[in-house]
Amino acid sequence: MSASGKSASGKPASGRPASKSPAPESPVPGSSVPVSPTPEYSVAGDSVSGISVSPGIGFGQALHLNHAEHRLDYRPLSAARIPLHRAKFSKALELLKHQLRSGQALLSEDCDNYQLIDADLLLLEDEALISQIDDAICRLRFSASVAVEHIFARQASELASLDDPYLANRALDVRCLSRRLVAAINGSLGWDLSGLDKPSIILAEDLTPAEFAMLPLQHLEGIVLKTGGLNSHTAILARAAGVPALLNCQFEMERVPDGCDLILDALAGSLYIAPDAAQRTQLLAKNKLETERRRALESFKDKPTLTRDGHWVALLANVGNLNDITQVAAAGADGIGLFRTEFMLMNAQSLPDEKAQYSLYCDALHALQGKIFTIRTLDIGADKELPCLQLPQEDNPALGLRGIRYALAHPELLTTQLRAILRAANHGPIRLMFPMVNQLEELEQVFKLLEDCKTALNEEEKGYGDLSFGIVVETPAAVLNLPSMLPLLDFVSIGTNDLTQYAMAADRSNPQLSRDFPALSPAVLKLIQMTITAAKQAKVTVSLCGEFGSDPAIVPLLIGMGLDELSINLSSLLEVKSTLCNGRFCDFRALAQSALSMDRIDTLKQCITSYK
Amino acid sequence: MYEKSVTITAKHGIHTRPAALLVKEAKSFDCDVLVECNGKLASAKSLFKLQTLGLYYGVTVKVFAEGERAEEAVEKVSALLITLS
Repeated sequence: MSASGKSASGKPASGRPASKSPAPESPVPGSSVPVSPTPEYSVAGDSVSGISVSPGIGFGQALHLNHAEHRLDYRPLSAARIPLHRAKFSKALELLKHQLRSGQALLSEDCDNYQLIDADLLLLEDEALISQIDDAICRLRFSASVAVEHIFARQASELASLDDPYLANRALDVRCLSRRLVAAINGSLGWDLSGLDKPSIILAEDLTPAEFAMLPLQHLEGIVLKTGGLNSHTAILARAAGVPALLNCQFEMERVPDGCDLILDALAGSLYIAPDAAQRTQLLAKNKLETERRRALESFKDKPTLTRDGHWVALLANVGNLNDITQVAAAGADGIGLFRTEFMLMNAQSLPDEKAQYSLYCDALHALQGKIFTIRTLDIGADKELPCLQLPQEDNPALGLRGIRYALAHPELLTTQLRAILRAANHGPIRLMFPMVNQLEELEQVFKLLEDCKTALNEEEKGYGDLSFGIVVETPAAVLNLPSMLPLLDFVSIGTNDLTQYAMAADRSNPQLSRDFPALSPAVLKLIQMTITAAKQAKVTVSLCGEFGSDPAIVPLLIGMGLDELSINLSSLLEVKSTLCNGRFCDFRALAQSALSMDRIDTLKQCITSYK
Repeated sequence: MYEKSVTITAKHGIHTRPAALLVKEAKSFDCDVLVECNGKLASAKSLFKLQTLGLYYGVTVKVFAEGERAEEAVEKVSALLITLS
């Protein structure tokens, strides 16, 4: 795994196998959320925190959307009331189906959620289900709600008892559908959105994408949910709609009554309940600054990354999933400089097969429309816990079987990926890079595997395309061995996080060390400089994909040192772009020259801060 | 009566979405289509019933149909059981 891979996944670079403490700044692996690095204000007072999935600050009144727990009446129905409850049940079915269909109409047909709604609809139209519930009303004299509860609960427990955990999980979906059907019977399905005629912050246990799509956006100032994660569909929709959103927020219902004044600071991940005047003033000021900052940055979106004296830099994005990829063009990037393919394994029970990978890469190519697309092959290390792979215990995982070493030791994984990438390259340009390559021999072994894949594809009469090749330079050995490897390469990308830890022999996840061994240090800068010089001599494109490159303060130095490209987090992209567009390359070069002459970390830091 | 046995190859089994596709296919036929698996029997037209069969990776499933276009229905449904993932 390379430098940038780790910091984004929030996992330590060389954590002992036992230590699984996630870094606090990134709660979900492999995701990039456009959380802006705004100056931190501390606002004291009554607040709850959550995971910010869509940035911004919202001001409004609390509005609960409850899937209320209805008290069920278990008394048997009198014969006279049976027809009423049968009618209640069928009316509720129609109501819920109608609601699901109108939510579905807002989604595209090929999205997961569309198909899941389809499954809900099929259940609600299921004759076996309907007749069982009807039977429970007529014969067992259950009220409509109790009958629904009863039959769905039986179904859920039957599903939960299945041997297969994946299928057993469907029990949750069934319980969720049951809850909504009971709500429909009790006439509380149509939410009371009358409170939404003034600025409101919605609070709910959970919100499906279909439900989100039904909310009027006009007065919607924010969304706070108790459940959900960064990559839930609701999070994606909220981001797309620009609605500040906080998920996984454990607010207490009683403390936040309907109509209660709220401020949602999704930049800091906090929800302020009944804020006082001082808090409000502070957050209003923060919001104003943030709005201005974002507006100023937005203006750079469609501009090329060109310094004032006309030096062009390719600004690329580090991404971890298809959703990020679809955002790349809109975010103003020139393409992707690092696609971490390990994400496919994060929650998977097994590695996606060649067909699934092939279609993923093709989808990405389609979304990128010819922009640069750099795929890094599976970067698996002993410190990454992957449910689908048995990784051996190692005393020293950071120095163990990781990156290309792991891939070469498990050629079946690498071959599947290489075949999928070769075939996808038939549909658009792909740059392929390999992690943790130290030696020419490793590169030769990979190229041998590639040739084998091509031969096999030829025999199977499957088409494939040409690739450009690169490596992630993330060890001092790779820097020193670069001249021998460059003739085989089209580009290199410097992974500064690992390069720093290996150059300094300092575990970067160890908080006692990280302060004294920053990437911005004379030794690391020299290694970067050596890489750039060697690459330039060989006329090979040189890029940098570590966290380092996302820091607007350091970017002028890096570009001044001669990098052709920077690959950074989507969330920092516009800020970095504005820094480059507002500066002059000649000043960057002068800065680099003086920075490289510093022999102390503190003077180097001063040198960078004194620029501008 | 026409019948055929197939083995599920989808790694996650036939979960909600593929099962929904299967039900839709079965519903396009007038004849009764039944699926037997793990000693349980269900109509292929009922997602509610089908879900409880435990159509997971590696199990063998018997598909039956009787009536109009029974053979075609069995072929279509069993082909889906094999290819869906």
